[in-house]
Amino acid sequence: MARIELESVSKRYGDVHAVHDFSLAIDEGELVVLLGPSGCGKTTTLRMIAGFVPVTSGRIRLGGREVTNLPAHRRNTGLVFQGYALFPHLTAAENVAFGLEMRKLPDGVVREKVARALELVRLADLGDRLPRQLSGGQQQRVALARALVIEPDALLLDEPLSNLDAKLREEVRVEIRQLQRALGLTTLMVTHDQDEALAMADRLVVMSAGAIQQIGTQRELYEHPRNRFVAGFVGRTNFLRGQLIEPGVFRSDGGLTLRYDGRSAPSSAGAPGASPSGVRRALALRPERLALGVPADAARANRVAGTVEFASYLGSIIEYYVRLSSGETLRVHAPNTGAAGDRAWALGETVHVSWPVEVGLVLEDEHHPEEDHR
Amino acid sequence: MAGALVGPATLAVVLGLLVPLAILFRYSLNRFVPGRLMVDALTVENYVKFFTDPYYMAVLVRTLRVSAVCMVLCLVMGFPLAYALARTRSRWKSAVVMLVVLPLFVGNAVRAAGWMVMFGSRGLLNTLLGVVGLIDHPLQLMYTEAAVIVGITAVNLPFMVLTLESVVEGIDPAIEEAAASLGARPLQVFRRVILPLAMPGVLAGTILVFILGMNAYATPILLGGPRFQMMGPLVYGQFAGLNNWPFGAALSFVLMAATLSLSAVSNLLIQRRYRR
Repeated sequence: MARIELESVSKRYGDVHAVHDFSLAIDEGELVVLLGPSGCGKTTTLRMIAGFVPVTSGRIRLGGREVTNLPAHRRNTGLVFQGYALFPHLTAAENVAFGLEMRKLPDGVVREKVARALELVRLADLGDRLPRQLSGGQQQRVALARALVIEPDALLLDEPLSNLDAKLREEVRVEIRQLQRALGLTTLMVTHDQDEALAMADRLVVMSAGAIQQIGTQRELYEHPRNRFVAGFVGRTNFLRGQLIEPGVFRSDGGLTLRYDGRSAPSSAGAPGASPSGVRRALALRPERLALGVPADAARANRVAGTVEFASYLGSIIEYYVRLSSGETLRVHAPNTGAAGDRAWALGETVHVSWPVEVGLVLEDEHHPEEDHR
Repeated sequence: MAGALVGPATLAVVLGLLVPLAILFRYSLNRFVPGRLMVDALTVENYVKFFTDPYYMAVLVRTLRVSAVCMVLCLVMGFPLAYALARTRSRWKSAVVMLVVLPLFVGNAVRAAGWMVMFGSRGLLNTLLGVVGLIDHPLQLMYTEAAVIVGITAVNLPFMVLTLESVVEGIDPAIEEAAASLGARPLQVFRRVILPLAMPGVLAGTILVFILGMNAYATPILLGGPRFQMMGPLVYGQFAGLNNWPFGAALSFVLMAATLSLSAVSNLLIQRRYRR
């Protein structure tokens, strides 16, 4: 049974569709991440579930209970806010106890549950501290303990890691994930950080301009993005603009004739041959699936000459920007294996970029304004 | 260097406040002899006179009562307004703040005259009530304690609102949402979260309003009339009307001591209750 269900939920402010026709069912114990750029409506969606923003239309159910028109305090959601929103005048233990006291549990039970929750987040010794006496990471864990001690029907995480420094962030996201799994909490998390989203989610919902672009696992989104926005937002992607000549053959604006295995995203109007010619398309190529300097062979049907324009040594990979003979640029990620055969390419050097037909994915060349900012 | 910066203010406080207060206290220990005015002495008879005369005690009690009622009214009316102002994102916010402060732009006498027009036996309120048919004869509104309370509350409300608003603005709205998500009803959010966090403002606002009420002068005279006495006018009367400086000085110190000690006690009580 799904614990969080949204049915055609929409939010309009005047003429602006903040969230449009949003439907999603999150299963018991599942962690779903809402991923999208700022202003895409993901936070509004979370706030509608929590009860802070009334829906314009649609229905919301939590744990099988219709909550669409219930006020926030009757929804039984556990929220972790971006800035934690701890009660500054209460100790860590009193913060955790707050929700239990609101439920009028006997003192003994409250004490016991608070102790267990603080232990769960490894803060058993710091229950007497005020929030300002705790580090950012510790405050974050108090906020988490406070949200999960009430055994919520839905755990809602609003950019929970964005106030932590990078190293702590990776630790805490593993911790949250383990805790969420161990307790079987049905969870919706909102983030704009794709690494965080990919690392934590069972499933992801990519949002843009108030609408769901695609729902799926990490692999589904990465391998089969439904549109150009998803391909660009999840992982890194090169886009070559152009059009289809015939099924399996793509002609870029720069004049390159490239082969691909005929795969098109479902929303790109089914089989490529069926769509009217002249429709603007983009060929998506993941940078780590392109190879540099490999001799021509049958497996690598596409091979284009270019010059190395820019190189970044990123540790596990080396990123090259290669200016193709057609004038277009491709980003190529070469694995930094340290093997004897590896070759570093110098700036200005001539190099061939090659890839097999199955790497390319043809998408409709819709233009998303968000992409300009990234 | 920093020490030099506090110099002028320190000088002003010492010369303008502490020295006159010391002189005043010395006067309060002098003796008043009709015909000879103030005679040097070292006696507490002025204080004894105050605390043994039921008339003066009644004035003190009335002053305390009026100040306390005004303080509570200001708090009860001011908090919702301050909260709404602090949380609004309306572009009219600064205009509303101006409206709140507006009474302070009008002098005491002018404002009291306005209330007289309102409260008089043929004033606006009585006329309206008569027209509606709620009363047959005009009510006695002027020269009552109620009129004084309304008048003082109206002047002091802006101080309360502004003090509270700045404190409420410092409370992260997400904290209220956190409380709601944990199951707190709006009233519980107020009692358990907003009120404790706003306590410094409540304290500052109530003490400020209480002090202003205790020392009110023009409003009690103009709206209370000749038979309604509060401490402020009483002190002035002793100095200016009766030329009894020693007793006037003693009254001043009683008023000051009552105001200070009550403010201090309430401060302590509230701080103990909301320790953090």
